[in-house]
Amino acid sequence: MTGLKNAKAVENTDDYRNVFVFLEVREGKFLRSALEMIGVGRDIARKVNEKLVCLILGNNISKLADEAVEYGADLVLGAESPDLEEFRTLPYTSIVSDWVLKEKPNIFLIPASRNGRDLASRIAVKCQAGVTADCTELDIEHDTRILSANRPTYGESMLAEILCRKHRPQMATARPGIFKVPEKSRSENPEIRISKVKVDKSLKTKEIIEFRKKEKVDLSAAKIIVSGGLGLGKAEGFKALEKLAKTIGGEVGASRPAADLGWISRDHQVGQTGQTVRPRLYIAAGISGKIQHIMGMKNSENILAINIDPNAEIVTYSDYVIVGDVKDVIPRLQKEIDSYRKEHSGKKESKIASAS
Amino acid sequence: MALEIVVMVKQVPDSQEVVIDPVTMNLNRSLTRNVTNKADENALEAALQLRDEVGGHVTVVSMGPPQAESTMIECLARGADRAILVSDRFFGGADTYPTGLTVASAISKLEKVDVIFAGEESSDSSTGHVGPGVAEFLGMEQATYVSSVKYADGFIIAERELEDGTEVIKMPTPVLLTILLNANVPRRQTLKRKIAATKQGYEVWNLEKLGMPPEWVGVRGSPTIVRKMRPIKEKERAAKRFEIDQIPDLVRELFEIGALKLEEMQ
Ligand SMILES: Cc1cc2nc3c(=O)[nH]c(=O)nc-3n(C[C@H](O)[C@H](O)[C@H](O)COP(=O)(O)OP(=O)(O)OC[C@H]3O[C@@H](n4cnc5c(N)ncnc54)[C@H](O)[C@@H]3O)c2cc1C
Ligand SMILES: Nc1ncnc2c1ncn2[C@@H]1O[C@H](COP(=O)(O)O)[C@@H](O)[C@H]1O
Repeated sequence: MTGLKNAKAVENTDDYRNVFVFLEVREGKFLRSALEMIGVGRDIARKVNEKLVCLILGNNISKLADEAVEYGADLVLGAESPDLEEFRTLPYTSIVSDWVLKEKPNIFLIPASRNGRDLASRIAVKCQAGVTADCTELDIEHDTRILSANRPTYGESMLAEILCRKHRPQMATARPGIFKVPEKSRSENPEIRISKVKVDKSLKTKEIIEFRKKEKVDLSAAKIIVSGGLGLGKAEGFKALEKLAKTIGGEVGASRPAADLGWISRDHQVGQTGQTVRPRLYIAAGISGKIQHIMGMKNSENILAINIDPNAEIVTYSDYVIVGDVKDVIPRLQKEIDSYRKEHSGKKESKIASAS
Repeated sequence: MALEIVVMVKQVPDSQEVVIDPVTMNLNRSLTRNVTNKADENALEAALQLRDEVGGHVTVVSMGPPQAESTMIECLARGADRAILVSDRFFGGADTYPTGLTVASAISKLEKVDVIFAGEESSDSSTGHVGPGVAEFLGMEQATYVSSVKYADGFIIAERELEDGTEVIKMPTPVLLTILLNANVPRRQTLKRKIAATKQGYEVWNLEKLGMPPEWVGVRGSPTIVRKMRPIKEKERAAKRFEIDQIPDLVRELFEIGALKLEEMQ
């Protein structure tokens, strides 16, 4: 227990080096956010020539450690125990805080997922450090090695830049789905330190009776998303979107009211209270473009809006706009894509064959 | 066994009416109405249900400026037994660390605490960090993002909503729970209760009562500072317009720029 202690400025910030990232594991695998943390952490570490240190807790983690190394971990700190198989606040806080106090990182990034936030705040308090929540941009100032932690505020209309000048580590949680999954890039002299740990009984107060897994469509990894909103008019409208999505190798998304009405299940919802996505192509059919929806998809590479109203808000967020009724537009789009494919697939295949 | 229950409540600017000062880029507080943080109303309701079932008391604790009075009265009118506003000019400008420290310090002055409730996050700072911070200061077990709470024989059984499913967990008290927005329907404040609540009144505790050094709290006790605020600039997008009959052109362009790929098609 930390007790009632104040946040403590450190005497010499130069004593603090390297970038820690916490990699979230579920059922023995990395969550996508783990790779996102490696990506952003690696960029920051390499900018100032420091080490990327990946933290992994779990039961059998040696494969995960190898994977982290493939992506650029300079050092993996691992803790193994059957008691660490699932995330539990107290043992995780204790182990990670010990690493922080011993290794003295300058920066520590944790995903702003539910378990990530559960953990980050406790570690900050335990280490008497500062933490900035839910960042969407992270950078380091080269000379001072101060973390520039940027987070949206006031209903996503403003970006606040937050600094932690005197306390170490400089902690931040990073919003899932915002940072890119990096290419693999092995570091020169990677080191893996995994220790078997025994979790003290006093930290084993939380018993997980059951985990009911949700059927989930992971839109965050989709390359193409075809989303529908109230403009579809009725549940059947999603049938045509599903067909289109299937043809072009995409997933189906939805606005919140479309999910609220039960036209499609909640796990397809995009936006503030749904998933954050950044596909290569986002098609918004019959979606007006209210800020809560925009928040979840505005970082898509290409955005195509289909709307009967040429002045819908979504238009200013779009690269392409088809003005028209979804009932006409979707079948036509389907037809033209099918015929483009017929016309070109022969050529394309020979090209692939000659390239390989 | 009766339970001594604490609810952490924050007054926030009404997000429907947020007005930003174009010069300072800060919230224009004089033009913005204040309300009780929505998720905290759900936390209070969860606390009241627990008390009504097993007996005990619900104490509301809030750190904030004097105008948080309306939130204090509202919580009493909904059924809280006691309300404490932790208020002092020294507390101003606190980030999550000293906020948690101040609230934890106030809670530590209470005779006994079995369960602490907080909201999943506040609508204005939306960090979700203050609840777990308090649990750490007080050395308590915690469960975040909780949608339902039961109590039996010294144990809390809670459902915790994760991104990919629901965890059912069991923990002994004392424990801190953060409650999801819309996890329940908060009971209404009746006029009769409102009058009684106003009469009953709430306590105001200052820094001296907590007995902490002034440099531990508020802006001086905050490890983080806001360096600047800037409007979020969206990427400029061309909004290139196509009529229905031009869809063939659009399709060609989407393939040419690689937004659609033949090899990904099924
Ligand atoms: C706290 C909070 C959280 C929220 N979270 C989310 C969230 O995560 N995700 C989300 O999406 N929303 C969210 N919302 C709701 C959001 O504010 C909007 O209400 C919602 O995004 C609008 O959905 P829509 O675009 O489908 O419907 P509408 O706003 O009703 O838009 C329908 C659009 O379809 C067009 N249209 C109508 N008929 C046709 C037709 N025949 N052909 C083509 N176009 C047509 C219309 O011109 C219009 O632009 C949230 C709101 C709140 C308060
Ligand atoms: N000033 C405060 N006083 C009392 N409780 C607070 C205060 N700030 C935050 N909380 C509690 O902590 C929760 C999370 O807030 P936040 O970390 O700001 O997102 C809120 O829902 C409240 O329950």
